Amino acid sequence: MNKLNIALVVAILAVAIYFSTISPSAMQAMQSGFMSMLSPFLRTGSAMQENLGSVGRRLQTLDELEVENKKILVENRELRAQNNLLNELETENSRLRMALDFRERSSFKLMPARIISRDASTWWNTLRINRGFEDGVEADMPVVTELGVVGKTTTVSKNEAIVVLVTDETCRIGCKIDGTREQGIISGLRIQEKAAEGLLQMNFLSKNAKIEPGQQVLTAGVAHGAFPPGLVIGRVKEFRPRALDGQAVVEPAVQLDSIEDVFVLIGKK
Amino acid sequence: MSKILIDLAALFAGVVLAFIIQDALPPMSDFHSAHVLLVPMVFCLAAVVLPFPAMLIGAFYTGFLSDLMYMHVVGGKVEIPLGMSIVFFVILGSIANGFQPAMKSRNVLPFVVLSGVGTSGYLLVQFLTITLQRGGFIWDEAVLWRILAPGLIAALIAPLFYWTLSQIDRLIPDGSRKLRSITR
Repeated sequence: MNKLNIALVVAILAVAIYFSTISPSAMQAMQSGFMSMLSPFLRTGSAMQENLGSVGRRLQTLDELEVENKKILVENRELRAQNNLLNELETENSRLRMALDFRERSSFKLMPARIISRDASTWWNTLRINRGFEDGVEADMPVVTELGVVGKTTTVSKNEAIVVLVTDETCRIGCKIDGTREQGIISGLRIQEKAAEGLLQMNFLSKNAKIEPGQQVLTAGVAHGAFPPGLVIGRVKEFRPRALDGQAVVEPAVQLDSIEDVFVLIGKK
Repeated sequence: MSKILIDLAALFAGVVLAFIIQDALPPMSDFHSAHVLLVPMVFCLAAVVLPFPAMLIGAFYTGFLSDLMYMHVVGGKVEIPLGMSIVFFVILGSIANGFQPAMKSRNVLPFVVLSGVGTSGYLLVQFLTITLQRGGFIWDEAVLWRILAPGLIAALIAPLFYWTLSQIDRLIPDGSRKLRSITR
């Protein structure tokens, strides 16, 4: 290897090391720019995949009916999700009125979004939605369906956002078990056999907690957290007391492998 | 010089095309949700064809785009920092570049083996980096398949990929084919 080649290798490695020292927000900004550039091509690829997969179905139904059906389904889901949120608001409002302690509760606007691709990487459970910062979406915003929590946004580009699923180990959410005072942190498992159907682990519970299978797990809405309180995450499948704390195995409320539309909770109304 | 530029341009376009295709392909449920990875294979072919300095430019480009494509940032933490893939592709490319004489004598075996090993190696490095970041080493059948299956698939596709490119190259008029750096 001649001197020029050695100098080139050293220069490229130096640039790589410099890149690794860039702040996470700057890295995210670069990723966002890259996503914006590649977005039309990735969408075309995903659309082709979707079209190929639905050839049989299209032969059986009329296009117009399908479009209308999809529109009604989205509308129905949005209304159901809004209804769930309103119920939660009503319950909380009653509780606060009873305690004569009125405080303002932030309510969120539901931004419907369509999933354009899922599970693009081997080690992380993510999906991409067709909403970006042009629609008011920002990083760390909750993503839900009418059934419960899906995950939260990470990198957001102009017209797209990456959503890290609740089944990913890096998606940690403060939560509580309904009907108890037990609070903990829920996350996915590192390796999910079938990522979208994976189980969740809720840690830092009391080891003597009285937790039964079937109890609902809700977001706790901790201060400065991304999630408002009361969103359904899943149901307890099993409780395991450990040496210092307890761990609950939780089944997610949302079937993550079959959802096509989600809602992003954006800002205050 | 122009033949190198043509090959580099082909690599640049090929890498982007590989990203689009592998993004559209769903995970293989029969192989523990392993993904098909095409980018390391595309890079390996360029690395055994291009001269060393051009290969380094290709490694930088491929690594940089790979990091941007699969960067995972949650709560202000980056799991695999930008630049890691550049280092990986520089190492892989340096090894692949040494097999240029074999490729010139139409021996595709080194390219096939490097595609498989490079793809699995890339996933192994990602897995080890994540393990280092999160702590606690987990190794099971699913991890093994997610690392090995993409490598095996890349090795299976590699001869077909080489053959397809050779056929496309035959369609190019002789004048421009003479510009290509590889003897086919």
